Amino acid sequence: MSTSPVIRLNDVSKRFGATQALEEVSLEIEAGSVVVLLGLSGSGKSTLLRHLDGLEVPTSGSVEVLGQSVPELRGRALRALRGRVGFIFQQFELVGSITVLENVLTGALARLRGPRLGLPTYPKALREQAFAHLEEVGLAAQAFQRADTLSGGQQQRVAIARALMQDPEILLADEPVASLDPESSDQVMNLIREIGLRRGLTVVCSLHQVDLALAWADRIVGLRHGRVVLDTPAEGLSKEQVMEIYGRVATSTAEIAALQDELLETVAAIAAEENAAR
Amino acid sequence: MTAIAPPRASAPATPPGAPRRTLARPSGRVLTAAALLLGLGVAAIWSIVDLEVGLNQLERGLANAGRFLQRTVPFEWPSLGDVLWLSAMTLAIVVLGTLLATVISIPVAYLSAANTSPGGLVTRLLGRLIGIVSRATPDAFLALAFAMIIAQGALPGILALGLHSVGMISKLTADAIEQIDEGPRLALRAAGATKAQEFWGGIWPQILPSVIATVLHRADINLRATVVLGFVGVAGLGLELSLGLKSLNYREGIPYAIIMFALCIVFEIIATSVRSTLLGVRPSGRSLGGLLARRTVPAAPVAVDPLKQPWTPERRRLAGFSRSSIVVIIGALAVISTSLPNFSLFWQNTGIALNRMLPPQIDEAKWGSVAEDFLITIQVGLAATLVGVILSAVFGAFAARNVAPNPTVRGVFRFLLVVNRGIPELLLAFFLIILTGLGATAGVVALAIGGIGLLGKLVADSLEEVDPGPERALRATGATRAQIFFAATLPQAAPAIVGHVLYLLDTNVRASSLLGVIGGAGIGFTILQASRINHQEMLALLIIMVFVVLAIEALSSLIRSLVK
Repeated sequence: MSTSPVIRLNDVSKRFGATQALEEVSLEIEAGSVVVLLGLSGSGKSTLLRHLDGLEVPTSGSVEVLGQSVPELRGRALRALRGRVGFIFQQFELVGSITVLENVLTGALARLRGPRLGLPTYPKALREQAFAHLEEVGLAAQAFQRADTLSGGQQQRVAIARALMQDPEILLADEPVASLDPESSDQVMNLIREIGLRRGLTVVCSLHQVDLALAWADRIVGLRHGRVVLDTPAEGLSKEQVMEIYGRVATSTAEIAALQDELLETVAAIAAEENAAR
Repeated sequence: MTAIAPPRASAPATPPGAPRRTLARPSGRVLTAAALLLGLGVAAIWSIVDLEVGLNQLERGLANAGRFLQRTVPFEWPSLGDVLWLSAMTLAIVVLGTLLATVISIPVAYLSAANTSPGGLVTRLLGRLIGIVSRATPDAFLALAFAMIIAQGALPGILALGLHSVGMISKLTADAIEQIDEGPRLALRAAGATKAQEFWGGIWPQILPSVIATVLHRADINLRATVVLGFVGVAGLGLELSLGLKSLNYREGIPYAIIMFALCIVFEIIATSVRSTLLGVRPSGRSLGGLLARRTVPAAPVAVDPLKQPWTPERRRLAGFSRSSIVVIIGALAVISTSLPNFSLFWQNTGIALNRMLPPQIDEAKWGSVAEDFLITIQVGLAATLVGVILSAVFGAFAARNVAPNPTVRGVFRFLLVVNRGIPELLLAFFLIILTGLGATAGVVALAIGGIGLLGKLVADSLEEVDPGPERALRATGATRAQIFFAATLPQAAPAIVGHVLYLLDTNVRASSLLGVIGGAGIGFTILQASRINHQEMLALLIIMVFVVLAIEALSSLIRSLVK
């Protein structure tokens, strides 16, 4: 059933000055799979994601995305590849002073020639397409508001619509819900999963919450200090295995303890919710 | 063997018995900045003494006022048609000059900003250099040079304003670019946007409010500058004014000054209302342009028909502004097109003009007098800044919400500042020169009064922008109004205020070089003379002038970096 991998990293290392952000990372991701990169902050998740979109160039090793060697791409070819890969940021990164609809339209820039400013500078067909994407994320009513008048969760949904505007084959999401409240988080994570399944996209999402990752992903890749320390299907993992994951992702006993507390709280919260539901 | 001292709970660095150090050791930076500022202050006081600036000169001027009035009233007003046409011409020069500067400034700012410069430090320095040289070259002298190449008229004025304004507009725009939120730009890059798409899609919408505010502010400055441009032959109200005054025909000349004054106030009002109604966008940066554009965000509109962008008040205002700007620009082009020179001889004339100017040199016999002229120019700038600072401190403090004793006082002082901004300082200087004669006092007083409008407003804004928390805390401890001002308000605002004072010094030295053009003392007069007789000398003087301004800017940016 499985097709050839759409993302292939081989021995990728990246240094920023004195810090080793990635160390000999090798990874293959099949088309259509939903993968979570799990790790604490500073573990190299963001750096890894940014390599997949050519926003970073590895110090050594090879990065192949959609059959192309990303570090070797320049200019038009690089932009064309970026156009096929959607990227969702932790801080949404919308242009606050323009409308929601125009923000969505900026996702189509790779397909257009020349700079655009103002809604009328985009072809009507694209505007209608952008509207359809806004409907898909449930924000058509806010199309003509300034982007900075929306709540965080709404802004992230606009960012998803912007990524859809690229008509991507791969969707990358860097801590997409780290800046959101729990309710918006669920909404956004469900939306990404749903859209990914419906369109058959390859989704790679970085997270730091283990429970969220377990519930959401097909496969979990754990990172620590820039190294892959875990690579496992998410389905059917027992609680003991979860604790094992915590142990491998965390770097010290203190962190493990903190994560255990977090897990216990989550379990307690879920139990409380279930009780309340009854 | 020394005895081992018992460990102390709170171990002070001083040995027991010695007096505890209660004053902070001053840091080298602070000492250097203080010494430089003190040096500037002493130089300014010496300038005032050396230039013999005094009230007796003004008294003598008052005595002359009677005779001046006799020769001036009743006015001989020009016809309404003339007034409208000349005003249109002046405004057209301002609009097109500022537009030209804006168009040039965008790429220059792109080069200068650290986060957009394509070639790293090299292109960045190139961009900043273009800006600095443009700012240091006074527009009146640029107009003189252009007039030699393409004949007198409106065009040298447009080109002069266009090139000189690049300095300020590109600098403030580059500052705005450096202060943007990088996220949206990165998002566009991740989506495959080109560099140009990144700029217009991710950066431009963020800096637009700041750019609009900067351009309006610059247009306002350029309108005032047309008075001086008139004295070097640029068409419009300024030219008529200077013709009337040079021929001592005050009855015909002064009415143009009054019209000019009215035009400045009308423009100020229009610019202020555009700033406050149009820019429904918070400027993202804290640059000067951003400060000028500070605005509240309007309430979010509700989309009614999902496929049509609703005509919200904000959208209506924006569309209205865009349309009227286009109408204004087309109108300005139409007005200017009536007085375009013949370009067929452009290259030939350029060759002739360059031939006459090169190589730049000054007759050795004149070196002494030239040095003296430059000294006077700098002295006038220093003296005017000192007097201006003292006056602005009072006006600015009383115009600040958190310092003024009550809202009425604040309102009165804010109003006085606006009125003061309406008076072109060189026009004021001109009247004072007519009244008090050629001495330096006229220039010093005119520039000092002119400086209140600018510095007073900036001081007031800086005071209002301080964090109100410490003020509240001190009020809660029972401190008096004055104690709060000196302990909480002033220390927070001080670095910004020092920056504004140095900015005024830069401005005043440049303005003081122009006083000579309208009949005052200093280097301007010598340059004007040279432009008639000896073009090699003119070019040499201009180059020296640029370096003098650059030296003063370098000094003030050094101080600014020390007090930051």
